[in-house]
This record gives sequence, structure tokens and C-alpha cells, in this order.
Amino acid sequence: MRSIKHFFEQSWLLIIASFFFGLLIAVTNAALAPRIAWNATAKLNALAAGLLPEAEKFAPLDQTIDITAPGGKPQALQLYQGKTGGQPAGWIFIAVGSGFADKIELVVAVDAKFEKLAGFDVLSSNETPGFGDQIKYNYFRDQFKGAPAGALTLINAGEPATIDEKIVSISGATVSSTAVVRTISHYLTQVKEQMQQKGLIQP
Amino acid sequence: MTTNANEQTGNYTKTLLAGLWKENPVFRLLLGMCPTLAVTAAVQPALTMGLCVIFVLICSNIMVSLMRNMLKPHLRILMFTLTISTFVTIADLLLKAFVPAMSEKLGPYVPLIIVNCIIICRAEACASKNPVLMSIIDALGMGVGFTVTLCVLAGVRELIGTGKIFNIQVMPGSYVPWAALTMPVGAFLTLGFLLGLVNLISKKHS
Repeated sequence: MRSIKHFFEQSWLLIIASFFFGLLIAVTNAALAPRIAWNATAKLNALAAGLLPEAEKFAPLDQTIDITAPGGKPQALQLYQGKTGGQPAGWIFIAVGSGFADKIELVVAVDAKFEKLAGFDVLSSNETPGFGDQIKYNYFRDQFKGAPAGALTLINAGEPATIDEKIVSISGATVSSTAVVRTISHYLTQVKEQMQQKGLIQP
Repeated sequence: MTTNANEQTGNYTKTLLAGLWKENPVFRLLLGMCPTLAVTAAVQPALTMGLCVIFVLICSNIMVSLMRNMLKPHLRILMFTLTISTFVTIADLLLKAFVPAMSEKLGPYVPLIIVNCIIICRAEACASKNPVLMSIIDALGMGVGFTVTLCVLAGVRELIGTGKIFNIQVMPGSYVPWAALTMPVGAFLTLGFLLGLVNLISKKHS
């Protein structure tokens, strides 16, 4: 009883302050969350339009694709179909993987037959500026444009201009390069298999 | 009575101006070096970082000053950190909502304000010992001093490194930008040069 009294005597301010500050953050978050979500959607649309410029509009697919996320948890993935004059122009989905310090969210674009990658862009990441954040630069991203939509491998030395399943890593940012290649490969192989099973694309 | 009021006003002015030169957090106290070196490649991110620090400094100084008589000495650093992290989280959310592009550009450096020594230093040295008004003035002086310093550093780097200020071409077309100044090495070079300049000026004045 005495120790409990001592505990509250010492920490009452900390307990009250924790509740007060927690409430303050919760209220701010509740007020700003819709705007932040709108910004994220606007960014996704802009990135998708940049990756599949021929697509006039993007529509979410009615059914989700059941895959296993890189962490091992089941995930219902939302696919977006890009269309040009009613004809399919390609597919877009968001892939999430672990980067150097935080998770990396990527927007991945694949052609209509799901045979070749149209490219990827970074939706959000906290990779080290000047090193890991080079995954956003064109000289790394361009290697993915036209690469086969399947398992990709990372190599340390090679010719980045050659478009195939081999991706040359960024010097000084091996962890971030590996994260991108692993994440995209992980999603591509599973999404492709599921889409074939669902009859969305030809085997 | 009038003498006391004048003395008080004099103290406020002295505290406000201290952050700009005499106790400038970057040039004098060498605090907050992480954002000073990391976000000063251009004026826009430097100004945004400075404004965020002013917001966090003022809010945390107000809260610490209000709590100063209830603080347990051995728990004070924990209380300061809790207070600072709350306002940094709010600043981060505000940036994400209203200036998403800048929030993305600043990346992890906004959450890192939590460990910015300037804020915890002002909470310990001023807010935990002074009433609210004096704490606000101290926060304002230090925050503005930090922001101005960041902007001067960023101005030099952006101007010489790109020939632009606020993305507006300032240097003549024939000017060849010294791109190294926009890179990390440029941050160290410019900071060293400006620190030397400030020391030289102070020496002459003393």
C-alpha cells in the first residue's frame, strides 16, 4: 500500500501529462487524417499516371487479391486497372516492404498482360537522404521499366542499361536496393499467380 | 514601480535578442547541428524546419513553464521529452496535411526535432525556472535565431550551389553553379566558413 502511494506521489504528473498529450495527439490526428489520406490518394493517382501514361483512368478491381505480405501475414491486396478507351492499359498495386530504417511503400505498374513491368515509384519511405533515398532516382528506377514481371535478382556489378531480371544495386545503398527488389519480386510472383487463378490474365 | 517595469521590459528584450546573436543556438552554442547540416541545401526546407522548431519551442516552453513547480527533479528530463515529442508529432501531422511535398522532402528530420538539443536545453535552462511569458520570449528569440541561421546557411548554399534562391534564378546565365555546395560536403564547408566569420566579427567587437 505504501509503495503504491509512493508511486503515485512520484509519478502523478507523468501519468496525467501522458493522458493529456495522448489526447492532444489523438484529436489532432482525427482532425487531420482525412486531409492526409486525401493527399496520399492524390499522390498515388499522380504516380500511377506517371507510370502508365497511356491509361486515361484507374479503377479499383472489385475483388481483392489474397497474398502473403513480406512479413508473413495474409494481405488482401487492392489492384487498380488502368484503362484507355475501355481497353485495359495496365495494372497498378501498392507493395510494402522493410527498408533500412522504416517500411517502404512502392507503387508498382505492370502491363495489361502482366508480362512486363512498366516501372515503380516510391509512395513513401524514410531511407537515409543521399544514400537509401536514391531508390527514388531515375537511374535506379529505369532498370525496372520493361523488366519481366516475375522474380528479379539484385547484382552488385553490371550494366544498368540492359533491361532484364537483373537489377544493379545502388552503391552505398545495398540494403535499400535489396529491399526494393525483394519487395517487388515478392508481390509480382504472388499477384501474377493469383490473377491467373482468378482468370484475370492468361496463364 | 516604473523602474521595475522598465527593468522587466529590458530583461524581455535582452532574452529575445540573445538568441539572435549573443547566445545564437547554432553559431554560439553549436546546438541543433543535425538539421543545420541536413536541411540547408535550399532555403525552403530550411525555413520550414525553422518554423517547425519555433512552434515546438514555444509550445514545449509554455507547457514546461506551467509544470515547473510540480516537476520532480529526477523525472524532469522524461517530462521534457514527453512534452517535446507531443508537439513534434503535431508539427509532423500539420506538415503532412498542409505541405505534403515539403513533409516528404524533410523526411525523418521533422520527427528528429524530438532530439534537437536546443529545445531540451531551453526547457531545462529557461522554461523550468521562469514564468510563462519569459519562457515564450526565450523560445521566440532562440527559435528565430535558429531559423535565421538556417536560412543564411541555406541561402549561401543554394545561391552558390544552384544560382537560385527560392527556385528563382538570381545569378546571371553565365554563372556556373558549384554543385558541391548542395551536397553534404557543402554543408560542412559553409558552416565552417560562417562560424569563422562570426568568430572574426565577435573578436573585432570585443
